[in-house]
Order: sequence, then structure tokens, then C-alpha cells
Amino acid sequence: MMKFNARHVNPFVEAAMKVVNQITGIEVRRGHLSYKPKVEPSFGVSIIIGIYGFLTGQIVYSLDGKLADRLVDKLLEGKSPQQRKIMFLDSLGEVANMITGNATALLNQGNDSVLNITTPAIAAGDNLSVHLIPKPALVLGLITMYGPIEVSIAVEEKETLQETESFDAMLSEA
Amino acid sequence: MAKRVLVVDDANFMRMVVKDSLEPKGFEIVGEATNGAEAVTKFGELKPDLVTMDITMKVKDGVEAAKEILTADPNARIVMVTALGQEKMLMDCIAMGVRDFVVKPFTSERILSAVQKALV
Repeated sequence: MMKFNARHVNPFVEAAMKVVNQITGIEVRRGHLSYKPKVEPSFGVSIIIGIYGFLTGQIVYSLDGKLADRLVDKLLEGKSPQQRKIMFLDSLGEVANMITGNATALLNQGNDSVLNITTPAIAAGDNLSVHLIPKPALVLGLITMYGPIEVSIAVEEKETLQETESFDAMLSEA
Repeated sequence: MAKRVLVVDDANFMRMVVKDSLEPKGFEIVGEATNGAEAVTKFGELKPDLVTMDITMKVKDGVEAAKEILTADPNARIVMVTALGQEKMLMDCIAMGVRDFVVKPFTSERILSAVQKALV
């Protein structure tokens, strides 16, 4: 059974508020927190980032096309339509990367270890289905004036993983 | 003469942000690399005055690439530009010989100041 820790949520709220506001000027507010038995992005643009270290799992950001457009408009202000097209997904991936990176710094405060993240994987389009690791997640809603951002946090602590692994080993030995 | 900079980041968007911060201030962007392996190769070919280096990249990450560059040239000037602002990582990079550590998101003034100080 995967154990959740609410301590893992606040760093993402704090990081999202700081990052999105600093680079786009768009204000972010905290919305509802809920639980899902498996990660299922609700909107058309999904950005997936892996975390490994003393925490292991995935963070999935999901937002609709309208909000994605607004964010990119702000990020690429003054750039040509062609540059905007080329960098559309890339810049959204970088926003997710910055939020996750800043959140890991907060999660790791006072720890003498390193929490690593993977490069973002991005999926965008209508009628798109994304297959993710079937793990339960805490789902955090973030609110902006252009639409919501859904952040699914499916991570577990290393001790939990080790406990599970040794329990599995005991079962197979028996 | 303009100082020559190699910009390393897997995100096209971030390379553009670094370029847009440095070029108007008289720096010449002599090359770009999208991963650590490319960075090591281009550093050898271009011999830039300074490298801005992302950390999380495919093929070879920025910490490994910085280590290789500093082993080949202990006087290389490298500024890490990363979203991962963790204390241990920062201390490890500085101990390795990296000149500064800029955490994303950053302002143009922050990266400019880090680059200028690294070149002194």
C-alpha cells in the first residue's frame, strides 16, 4: 500500500505560485486537494516529470489548451509565430521543470542528499490518451484566471519502497 | 573583444532566454548544445570563455559534463543554470570548480551578474 504524505504537496503549491508568477505574471491560487487511485490527466496538455532519490515517482501536470496558449503567449512575448510554434511544447515543459525543480529544493531542505528529476515528457492534443505508471496520486488543483492546472503527485518515500521490497522478498521466500 | 559563451540546455526556450539576456550586453554566443555530451565536444572545438550549463539533460547530465570539462581544462569557467536549487548539489558543483549556480527562473540581471563575476 502506497503511503502519502501531505508534506509533499505544499512545496508544489509554493513553487508553482512563485515560478508561474515570476515568468508569466499570471497569479496562481491553491485549489482543492483530492485522491485518485491512479493518475489520469483531466486536460488536453500533459507534462510528466519523474522524481528519484529519497522520493520516487512521477509528477503529472495537466492543463487545457487555452491556458497553455496564454502561458506560451506570456513566455514568448515579442517572438515570431514561427518561433512560438517551434517552442510551444518546449516552453511548457520548461515551466513544469522549473516548478518541479523548485519544489524538490523545498522538499530537500535540511537533507544531506540529492533529489533528481527527469527531463519532461509532454503530450498534447485532443482525444489523446496518456499511459502512466498505475499508481495512486494526490491531485492538487491550482487556479489561474485563464483556467486550472492539475498537479498529480504520485511519489513515495524510499523507506516505504524498501519496506515493500523486503515484504515482497519475504513473501517470495515463503 | 566580446566574451564568447557556449549555452548548454536541452530546452530551446531556455537557450533563447539565456541568449536574450547576454547578447544585448555584448556577449557573443558562439555555440549551443542540447546535452552534456555535445557540451564536452563543443567546448573542445570552440574553446569558449564561459559555459552556461543546465543540469537535467538526456544522454549526459550537466554535472557530469562540467566534471569532464574541468578535468580537461581546470581553468574553464562554468556557470550552472538549473531548476534544481538543492544545497548539496550546489556545494558539490562549487567544490568541483564551477564558478556560480543560477536557479531557474532567473532575471536577466541575475544571470548577467553571475557570468560577469565568473569572467573576472
